Amino acid sequence: MDFLQQIFWAPLTETYFQKALIGGCIVAVVAAVVGCLVVLRRMAFLGDALSHAMIAGVAGGYLVMKLLFGLEAHAPGMLLGSLLAAVLTVALIGFVSRISRVKEDTAIGIMYTGIFALGVVVVSVFRHFIHIDLMHFIMGDILGVADSDLWVSAFVAPLVLSLLILFYRHFQLSTFDPVMAASIGLPVLLIDYLLTTCVSLVVVSAVSMVGVILVVGLLITPAATAYLLCDRLDRMMLLAALFGVTSVVGGLYLCVWLDSAGGGAIMLFCTLQFLVVLTVAPRYGLLARWLRLRRLVPQQVVEDVLTTILRHGNGAPLTVLRQHVPQVASLPRALRQMTQDGLVQAAEDGYRLTEIGQREAAKVLRAHRLWETYLESIGTPQEDLHATAHQLEHLRAGGTVDYLDEKLGQPRLDPHGKKIPPRTKNGNDQG
Amino acid sequence: MTTEQTPAIEVRHLTVSYGERPALLDVSVTIEPDQLVGVIGPNGSGKSTLIKAILGFVRPDVGEVLIAGQNVDRAKGLVAYVPQRGAVDWDFPITVREVALMGRYQQVPWYRSLRKIDREAALEALDMVRMSDFADRQIGQLSGGQQQRVFLARALAQGADILLLDEPFAGVDAATERAILEVLERAKSAGKTLVVVHHDLTTAAEYFDKLILLKQRLYAYGPPRAVLQEELLSQVYEGRLRVFADLATGKGA
Repeated sequence: MDFLQQIFWAPLTETYFQKALIGGCIVAVVAAVVGCLVVLRRMAFLGDALSHAMIAGVAGGYLVMKLLFGLEAHAPGMLLGSLLAAVLTVALIGFVSRISRVKEDTAIGIMYTGIFALGVVVVSVFRHFIHIDLMHFIMGDILGVADSDLWVSAFVAPLVLSLLILFYRHFQLSTFDPVMAASIGLPVLLIDYLLTTCVSLVVVSAVSMVGVILVVGLLITPAATAYLLCDRLDRMMLLAALFGVTSVVGGLYLCVWLDSAGGGAIMLFCTLQFLVVLTVAPRYGLLARWLRLRRLVPQQVVEDVLTTILRHGNGAPLTVLRQHVPQVASLPRALRQMTQDGLVQAAEDGYRLTEIGQREAAKVLRAHRLWETYLESIGTPQEDLHATAHQLEHLRAGGTVDYLDEKLGQPRLDPHGKKIPPRTKNGNDQG
Repeated sequence: MTTEQTPAIEVRHLTVSYGERPALLDVSVTIEPDQLVGVIGPNGSGKSTLIKAILGFVRPDVGEVLIAGQNVDRAKGLVAYVPQRGAVDWDFPITVREVALMGRYQQVPWYRSLRKIDREAALEALDMVRMSDFADRQIGQLSGGQQQRVFLARALAQGADILLLDEPFAGVDAATERAILEVLERAKSAGKTLVVVHHDLTTAAEYFDKLILLKQRLYAYGPPRAVLQEELLSQVYEGRLRVFADLATGKGA
């Protein structure tokens, strides 16, 4: 008990931890919710760009407030500066990709590194005026989060969240189907700008905690995690918010236990969380996918069973099937599936074909014998005929068999002198 | 114009260009209400530009588009658009019901939430295309024809009298094509005007009341029998259409 109290409760009594927890959760929730739209609009790279561009805005805002009003590290000034830098970056990206042959992703790459570089140069040139720790800016410091940062996020988060809730339908529709949004008269461009502004606000309030580099992760990773679990946008947003909170809580404990960097621990936890969900998600997870594939009975096995029974005559026991169907491992599953689909029936003397099964089997057999005839006509050695045709008989889509039939002059017997089943029309009547 | 009723869509001397090349050149078409109209023409013939113009998305160089007698800029919401299947993100977290509900968005001001009447209207539209049983499925889990029908339901829920469909029959099998066509016919008999971009000339005559044959210029507009003429088609498709010679002369219409 003492041990548990030591590792879970003790950090909670520390002020720095409380502040980190509160600030981190506020930012994570709003970032995750906005992040859902970012993920669905494939704007992840833009989030990255905005966070980098910020430094120029922060430096600019700092400088202007200091030189004009003599205010040191004026938070609202820097916030405004960051927003201006973000909007400017987006405008420049749009401008460059519109007027030149440079595509948007390249334009984003050029503009954000350029503006980031501008910020770095300004900060270092004016280092006597501006006291911005570049390392702090890049890595963030959630454990030393300042009260002013908390206030910024306490202001930004409700603002952005209420915008998103108020205009939920607008954001949803313009993300899902911008053409329809425009056709019913929604101001699509304005909505895009509003969303970009929201993303900038969130990024600005998150950078002081997790830093420029990791902020995009806080934006998209919880959203992507929720995306793997949800089929509705409102639920995805709720769940993403939850994942954002668990990332911050889990990450902060991780950071205390391991005595590591705060931002790094949070993103690491967040990423691990994503990987776990990616593995076990019920519908879109890797495990589910693997199980689905495993449960799938290969068409080839089904067809092999059909022709084996047809050749053997009705009442083929399992031993016969085992001899003629190469993939013995999936045989029981195939038989179960085929019984369910009404292709075969289990009787006392073995497996029998139903009427549908009979028809299907005849189709495969026809394909097999036509392929054999064809193979002989192109000079395949006699001893290879059966084996090769056995592979090829599964190739029947798109009128393949009819083509062979026509090309060979509608033969009645195959090279072994066996009758080729006639063509069935639409699979309905057996001619 | 001396028609007794206002045309649903009236395109007057429409010229639209991207750069030097006109996408549409002097196109004039008058579409009466309650018609199922097909738009045909080779790739890059300006079909989608025409659709965009009717939606009011392009600024014409010359000419104008009137929707029910009003300029298209003032007629937002009178025209419902059904996108091409390839243009939709089928992984989007949204259910069939929510897509149909989107049709109601234009009636609901931003400060009000959706009401019961909106939900009922959406469900009714889904009923009309026989998709209400799938209301809670995510859209990616549907077959091609079902997906197309969901978007039709959304257009119907919009309550617009004019529906624009971009290649609704692309990539679906024959049975599905029938099912979609049946929904279109029903929409028509409910008083809708449908303009459908179509690429399959062999079925065009059978499906539509009128055809618009387009390649930058308007080559023909009228009943299928009049439009599917061999010399017209060979002009527009530049001899790539030997197959359709018998279509025009033989079983056409």
